[in-house]
Amino acid sequence: MDLAKLKAGLKKDFISSSSSEDLQKLKVKYLGKKGKITNLSKQLGKLDIKQRPKAGKKINELKLLFEELNQSVSQKIEKKELETAISKEQIDVSLPVDSNYIGGLHPITRTIEKICSYFSAKGYLIEDGPEIESEYYNFDALNIPQDHPARDMHDTFYLDSGKLLRTHTSPVQIHAIEKHKVPLKILCPGKVYRSDSDPTHTPMFHQVEGLLIDENVNFGNLKKELTDFLNYFFEKNLQVRFRPSYFPFTEPSAEVDIMDKKGWLEIMGCGMVHPNVLEMSGIDSKKYSGFAFGLGIERMAKLDFSINDMRVLFENDLKAISGK
Amino acid sequence: MKFLKSHLLEKVPMKIDTSKLESELTRLGLEVDSIEKFKNKSDVLFDLDLTPNRGDCFSVLGIARELAAVSNKKIKKESNGLIASKLTPNSKVKISAKGACPRYCFIEIYNLDNTKKLPSFIKERLEAGGINSINPVVDILNYVMLDLGQPMHAFDLNKIGKQINVRFAKSKEKIHLLDESSKVLNDKCLLISDEREPLAFAGIMGGIKSSVSATTNSVFIESAFFAPKIIRGKARNFNIQTDSSQRFERGVDYNIQSLALVKATNLIKEYLSGTYSKISTVEIKSNLPRQKLIDLDLNHLNKKLGFEIKLSKLKKYFEALEFKIEHNKKNSLKIKIPSHRFDIEIEEDLVEEIARLEGYDNIPSIDLKTSSSTFRSSNYIQTLNLKKYIANQGFQEVINYSFVNKKSLIELGISEELIELKNPLNENLEVMRTSLFPGLLKTLKSNLNRGENFMKIFEEGKVFKKTFSAREQNMLSGLIFDQDKKKNWSSKKQFSFFDLKKFVVDLLNHLSAKEIVFQQSKNAFLHPNISIDVIKNKQIIGSFGRIHPKINKSIGLKKNFFYYEFLTDALNFKNKYKISESSKYPSVQRDLSFVIPGETQFDNLDKLARKLAGPNLVNLKLFDLYESSEIKNKGSSFAFNFTWQSKFKTLEDKDIDVLVKSIVEGFKEKFNATLRS
Repeated sequence: MDLAKLKAGLKKDFISSSSSEDLQKLKVKYLGKKGKITNLSKQLGKLDIKQRPKAGKKINELKLLFEELNQSVSQKIEKKELETAISKEQIDVSLPVDSNYIGGLHPITRTIEKICSYFSAKGYLIEDGPEIESEYYNFDALNIPQDHPARDMHDTFYLDSGKLLRTHTSPVQIHAIEKHKVPLKILCPGKVYRSDSDPTHTPMFHQVEGLLIDENVNFGNLKKELTDFLNYFFEKNLQVRFRPSYFPFTEPSAEVDIMDKKGWLEIMGCGMVHPNVLEMSGIDSKKYSGFAFGLGIERMAKLDFSINDMRVLFENDLKAISGK
Repeated sequence: MKFLKSHLLEKVPMKIDTSKLESELTRLGLEVDSIEKFKNKSDVLFDLDLTPNRGDCFSVLGIARELAAVSNKKIKKESNGLIASKLTPNSKVKISAKGACPRYCFIEIYNLDNTKKLPSFIKERLEAGGINSINPVVDILNYVMLDLGQPMHAFDLNKIGKQINVRFAKSKEKIHLLDESSKVLNDKCLLISDEREPLAFAGIMGGIKSSVSATTNSVFIESAFFAPKIIRGKARNFNIQTDSSQRFERGVDYNIQSLALVKATNLIKEYLSGTYSKISTVEIKSNLPRQKLIDLDLNHLNKKLGFEIKLSKLKKYFEALEFKIEHNKKNSLKIKIPSHRFDIEIEEDLVEEIARLEGYDNIPSIDLKTSSSTFRSSNYIQTLNLKKYIANQGFQEVINYSFVNKKSLIELGISEELIELKNPLNENLEVMRTSLFPGLLKTLKSNLNRGENFMKIFEEGKVFKKTFSAREQNMLSGLIFDQDKKKNWSSKKQFSFFDLKKFVVDLLNHLSAKEIVFQQSKNAFLHPNISIDVIKNKQIIGSFGRIHPKINKSIGLKKNFFYYEFLTDALNFKNKYKISESSKYPSVQRDLSFVIPGETQFDNLDKLARKLAGPNLVNLKLFDLYESSEIKNKGSSFAFNFTWQSKFKTLEDKDIDVLVKSIVEGFKEKFNATLRS
């Protein structure tokens, strides 16, 4: 057997192979049961015992050559075949998908969540309170007696049952004090109602009320807690201003402003819980003190989502509220 | 409260630029609503938004006191001299309502000329204060009110009787007021009357008959102290807000009546000439407000503010506010409150005064140390997670008003046990909603008009009925409307009942709901045959399905659409999400197709199949459904795919064969089913 010829034929065969099928055939042709190299191996036994090592070595060389060629050619072929396969699979990926109908939470809910998740992580319990209230919870227990001028600030909707729609979330303070023991830390988001006919006000809007009662709570604590919160909410270090104000259920009372592009902007009301409120709910105001704060969600949403007209929030134009 | 900067600085002689004045007033708690140039002059018009506690600042004097206190200046004293008169007034005043009017000062002025012109500074200051010019006498009284805060009233002396009485009105007593309105009063209203009839609604508005006009030559001027609680609420109840009522209900300095009367008389004499009587005062001392004495515990003060204020500083602040320190014990001060500060009643009020003068911004921020943190889930968080899930299923949340039009509820048949508003803004907001459905329908319609033709919307909120335990209940409702004829090329399918059912089943699985039963729905909004009630513990906790055709008709929308509603709180299943270990043994699958004659509900087949398939059944799918007349007897073909798997062993063919045999036999027996080959 002419090894040189076999070797040349082998090389030639690999060069002319163009598919994995061709390669499979070559494997059979040379290394199969009746393959050319296999046959050589079979003939080894017929050779002189002295010639066997040399011949064996040659056959091995041939096998190695086969492997070498097979590897390099098959790599090329596989690459080419993959390219061909890929080139056959084509779609127009620029075709549009159906993405008009992604759902979402209302901007008010998003804003409430942003506020609640902060205070919740600080250990405030998120509470729910009734929207139909009695005069007692909405006014009297909050140190706003009948005919007090402060009631003029609340244009109240009255119900046929002698009850009313809460004008602020502050009544939840009283419910919370009655329900939980002091010390306590609560936050209550919810709807409130005022018969405001002003075009920039809606008769229903949302507030969040916070209340903290413990021993040794001071005005400095209130400032720190709210400044931290505002920095969190607006995601920057704000210039925050506290100025005296009036709420019948807090004393001292304050209004909190933040510095906006256009100047100071009123953002929330707060104060130290009025001793009358504590005493009315049976808490020793000498031992315990606390602070309360309330903020309008619509105003926060307006700033956070750059809303120009508040009314857009309740007109439920799906394109508008989903931010499309 | 509007005033001119020049007027203020006349009372507190100092130089201050406008922006500094603004920031000083703001830091005192006198909110500056606007600042405008006044009539192209160098003067500036300030408008303050006063809080109801600061009745004392309803005058330029009051604001001047604040400015003086904060800038370490003194107020210019009023000259309270009046050249003495020997004339005794002709009128006699009697106070019947002693508690309501503890002090009544008056003077009579004769032969004045009420046609003269007042100097421009009075006219301008009144105009700036937003007070209309009426006639010189009235203008002077209003000017003094703006200046000192004491409302006064002038009666035409020739039109009133000699016996003036301050008394409560009789029930249903009538009065004809200056603004030409007539009011029917009650026995809580205070009147100034003469022998014959009511002359004025005390502290609120004078009567038209005794009013001063250009031809008036003699006047009776009243300067009284009316108790705030008598005036409060009256202006609102009778719908007559006046500059006078605003001041009296917040509290007027109870020591200023005579001073104001002197100032007014001097101005009248100067500009309108005339002669005047002595000032006559009727007062019931015991009914006047008592001078308040309040103890301030310095430890309490420091504890409340969070830092220590030096005693010398405290003294300086109290002096600036005209608060007198009566006693000065160790760690405790007794403070005498001046008569103009009606709002100061308790120790905390003094804390606020100190904080105000210190400046809220100068009080240090201090980290909070509390022991009361609660880290546990609340209904709020449960509901929020629920809403997030639904939003992620492609629903847009909407928020509608809680009040709706009554007619819309009647039309939908949900007007029972309504809660009505006594004072609705308009008829569209007159009753509390009993369901979220009307709001969603409104949202649907308005967005249809905007050109939307595919909508998945939901709302979560309270609904109201007299019969609910707290009159309110949390609901969650959603609506799906699909009339999109030009869908995106890749999704041609229209939303169907089964898409809705999948949504509900997935939602319940997501919430780890257990022991839920589906039943044909009785919900009046839904098509009786294409709807389901969701039941837990025999209670309906929700419903879903296609809208009832009668509703389509009543709202004028032909297109079928879908609705669901749940009791929000009932969806809080409180089931913990549990992870179970997976089986190490292989699963076995078999397909069985049955032809079932007649009409059968899938539910019955499913129940039997599960029962017969034994405890190792891990999945049962209906993978094909064929309803056709081609199948004999108009039956249906149901193709089931069963999957079995044991946690304890490899299931053998023979194990499964037994089960399959029993299923086939059971189906034959109960449904007359035959197995398709």
